[in-house]
Amino acid sequence: MKKKNEKQVIRVVIATGVSSVVTQLYIIREFLVQYTGNEFVIALILFNWLVIGGFGTLLARFITPRFGKATALRLGVLSLCLSGLSPITILGIRFLRDFFFIHGASVGFYPTFWYIFLLITPYGLLLGFVLPYSLYVLRCDQEDYPPSRIYIADNLGDVAGGALFSFLLVYLLTPVQAICIAGLPIILTVAPFFRENFRKGSLYGLIASGVLAILIGSVFLESGSLKPRIGDLVHYSESRYGRIEVHQDEGLITLFSDGVPVFNNQNETTAEEVIHYPLSQAENPQHVLMISATGGMIRELKKYNPASIDYVELDPEVSAVLFRYKLLEPTRGLSVINEDGRAYLMKTRKKYDAIIVNLPEPDTFQINRFYTNRFFELAKARLAPHGVFSFSMDGYDNYLAEPQRQKLSSLFNTVSDHFKEVLLLPGQKIIFICMDSKIHRDIPSLLELKGISTDYISRYFYGNVTSFRTDQLNRLMDPKTEINYDHSPRLMRLMFTQWFAKFSTSPLWFLGSIVLVLVIYLSRLHVEEYVLFSTGCMTMGCELMIVFAFQIYFGYIYYQIGLIITIFLAGLLPGAWIGEKLRRNAGNVLVWTDILLIGLMLVFITFCFQWGDKLPVLFYLCTGFLFSVLCGCQFPAALEPRNNVKKSVAGAFSADLIGAALGALITSVFLIPYYGIIGAAMGLILLKMISLIMVGRKHG
Amino acid sequence: MDNMNRRKFLYSGALFCCSTIPDWGSFPFLDGDAIASVSDIRGEVFKGDAPETIWKWSCEGRYYAKILDNKTVCQLCPNKCVLSPGDRSICRVRVNSKGKLYSLVYGNPCAVNVDPIEKKPLYHYKPGTPAFSIATTGCNFRCLNCQNWEISQAKPHEVRYVELFPKQVVQEALSSRSLSIAYTYSEATVFYEYMMDTARLAKESGLSNLWISNGYMNPEPLRELCEVLGAANVNLKAFSDEIYKKLNGGLLEPVLNTFKTLHDHNVHFEMTHLVVPGYVDDDDMVKRMCGWILENLGPDYPLHFSRFTPKYKLDRLPPTPVSTITRFRNLAMKEGIHYVYVGNISNHEGNHTFCHGCGKMLIERKGFFINKDGLDGEHCRYCKIRIPGVWI
Repeated sequence: MKKKNEKQVIRVVIATGVSSVVTQLYIIREFLVQYTGNEFVIALILFNWLVIGGFGTLLARFITPRFGKATALRLGVLSLCLSGLSPITILGIRFLRDFFFIHGASVGFYPTFWYIFLLITPYGLLLGFVLPYSLYVLRCDQEDYPPSRIYIADNLGDVAGGALFSFLLVYLLTPVQAICIAGLPIILTVAPFFRENFRKGSLYGLIASGVLAILIGSVFLESGSLKPRIGDLVHYSESRYGRIEVHQDEGLITLFSDGVPVFNNQNETTAEEVIHYPLSQAENPQHVLMISATGGMIRELKKYNPASIDYVELDPEVSAVLFRYKLLEPTRGLSVINEDGRAYLMKTRKKYDAIIVNLPEPDTFQINRFYTNRFFELAKARLAPHGVFSFSMDGYDNYLAEPQRQKLSSLFNTVSDHFKEVLLLPGQKIIFICMDSKIHRDIPSLLELKGISTDYISRYFYGNVTSFRTDQLNRLMDPKTEINYDHSPRLMRLMFTQWFAKFSTSPLWFLGSIVLVLVIYLSRLHVEEYVLFSTGCMTMGCELMIVFAFQIYFGYIYYQIGLIITIFLAGLLPGAWIGEKLRRNAGNVLVWTDILLIGLMLVFITFCFQWGDKLPVLFYLCTGFLFSVLCGCQFPAALEPRNNVKKSVAGAFSADLIGAALGALITSVFLIPYYGIIGAAMGLILLKMISLIMVGRKHG
Repeated sequence: MDNMNRRKFLYSGALFCCSTIPDWGSFPFLDGDAIASVSDIRGEVFKGDAPETIWKWSCEGRYYAKILDNKTVCQLCPNKCVLSPGDRSICRVRVNSKGKLYSLVYGNPCAVNVDPIEKKPLYHYKPGTPAFSIATTGCNFRCLNCQNWEISQAKPHEVRYVELFPKQVVQEALSSRSLSIAYTYSEATVFYEYMMDTARLAKESGLSNLWISNGYMNPEPLRELCEVLGAANVNLKAFSDEIYKKLNGGLLEPVLNTFKTLHDHNVHFEMTHLVVPGYVDDDDMVKRMCGWILENLGPDYPLHFSRFTPKYKLDRLPPTPVSTITRFRNLAMKEGIHYVYVGNISNHEGNHTFCHGCGKMLIERKGFFINKDGLDGEHCRYCKIRIPGVWI
């Protein structure tokens, strides 16, 4: 009977793991659609998720004893609630945004934080609660039931959920459909808990029907939740990289990528600026490379009669939609290449007369790679001797604010290392023109010589891009601003500053509060909990660093990055199994795994710097796997010295989660942007050194 | 190290929540009235934010009253900020220092350019001429789509500025061969004293003064300004108080009063209406707006329908469809307004001036290239009717 109950609970834990990971990934995507998708917001979501989960875990420790024995029936009810809450959370994020905030307006840091916190809390707390509660249920039958089994089961569910999302659901279903499907196993696995008698069976029938009604109802509500306030939704898809929507309002077709209007068919100004400012400089541009595009670009490009246009777009769904809705038009010599722009440049040996980068502002690690010293060097290497390289940043109307000036200066200094001439032209966008030969400022005259007609430039250039404005902009570039490197993305720091300036706010209060609460929290932790806390922090930090480094050297390759993340989760399983086997020797295990984690981090950083792109993909996969094996190994070992008491189990689970939350936050928004990848590694090593000293002192 | 007990846990949690709330002002939940904050973004006085000493680029305000306890009430705009000593006004540039109200923006413009007058936009005032344009920081509105938010939502010390006192402004304008000085970009009302002194000198030197504004000024200072104004372009952002509060942080009525005052003082002015999708793209609203204009101002003041593009905080809306702008232009002309233009759309019929008498093209505008062949002085070359405006 006991064995049977154990199996049933373990099945529920696995099902919950699957459902929760799928829900988490869709919640992250949903928030990124509703809010600014910069690295800060991504970190905030992860942070909130993990911290709330951690608090939910602690809550289990306080609440469970107050209500008598933990029972399988209650676990079943809670799990069913969890399953029903998933789609409600997603729909809540969508529907409530316009209730709390002004429609169409972006939202600053603190409102974003609170909104995420508020909406994640019910699901996050319940999820955090259910995990230790499952253990308490099993311990009613077997007092010394090892928590590592629950940990392993949960991780197994997480791995399955991650893989299910990355390789299947994201391609086939909408978010609410996917979440509902992922929630169904919970409904099935909890059924045995209610079999005891007719009353319980009826209760199950009642709750399960309610949950099913919510799941099915949510699927029907989903289309309404996507309906735009203006115009019609003519296309909607969830690609592996994000959400793509096309809205039509009268004759205007707008493509929204993750909630932001990025392309439309009535923006000739930007299309003319990004194409003609650089191409007018080139003698006879025959081979042109566009890394991403904007509406109307190819129409303008055709005016030069190039022999080949290579258009690189990471997301095949985006390029397909652009052509389907005539935001871009097919033309002779056009090749659409669906891969990462940087990866393509590394691979190709073709020389181009012009390379035009048309990507968003560098506010994520992924995009930052296109504005670094190394990328500019790579672009230069693919240019013909008199070729022109160009990229753009958001423009300003009449005053260049300081954060933007610093951002432009950093770019100017970075690209100036590779080109003899760099000119910035103001306008709706600020266009960087980079060449090794003289750059001419009088664009309309150049176009006239080439016999190219334009709507915007020929009419407005002389009034909008006056010599005075151009001189002033170029004069304002600060030669002292730091260069943007792959390993040290200073530009992202400047992007964060600009974002905070836009909302006249500062993250310092938030970070100060975190430090304060953390000090209080850490002062209450046992040594073993601190080990898990620092391990959680290091694991999350390492995961971010490995993905970050991988992207630098290999580009954003969806499957391989998905694989790294899956491997990271998967490594915890054998790790926990080994830790379980070695738990009688817990002190030594903790000391040695800490030493190995520090050593592994040093090896990783050294190899990255020494050999970078020469390392095989396998290196990143193996490193990720080893990190997670070591982390997984520590969990059972950390619980052993305190005899697995109820309190320590919840404390250990929460320490792991809160550590991971901190790791996500500090690594992506503080350590990497401010101190680079080496600084980040050193910061994480320092954290582990403290753990090593503490555990070393305790266990001799 | 002891375990955390429940009391400590709750204490830590509460501390965590409370300590991240310093940004009350920008957070609607904790603003005291969540719904009001979402529907009304009007600014608030910056308590205790004034500098300890008044800097070089300051002057005493012209329109304010002293009340009890050294408090002052600014009377320049309808915000009527009540400032205790040490406070800063909603517009960020006026402070109460020891019971006196000072403007901190006198002779320190942060944006200086020479622009075509069409860029303001002014289509019926000296077309094709350059305008020397200046702005300081500050604005009495909080528009979510402000294209100059870097200066309009900044305090004077937070930006780079140049020293340019009124006399130097006029000299610079003359040497740039401009025919006018435009007080523009941020909100000219908030640097009223600087604008007035410059405008007087400019007028004496034969330069025109252009007030490019949201129109949020009290009638008394406006009447004084009218004495030196050549022309104005005033935004009529919406014909709804609700939308003014929600998107701009202001009220409609004072803006309408501004139009009446300008009209009463025979100042040439043009109106700009930015068509924000989902907010002010309503045919009925446009009809009501045109009705009010015709009833109170007549059909001759040019009206510009400008196309919205995502800016500043309002960056998650699509641009306005060109067809909506075209429809509104046709609607306004059908209602009886004589001169209706489109903004932010190149190559559109609505950029040109057509005679309201015979319908022939008077001025062809290809961007900033102006062909005035259809004009004969201030009359239509074809039907000889007088065209409202100042044509040099």
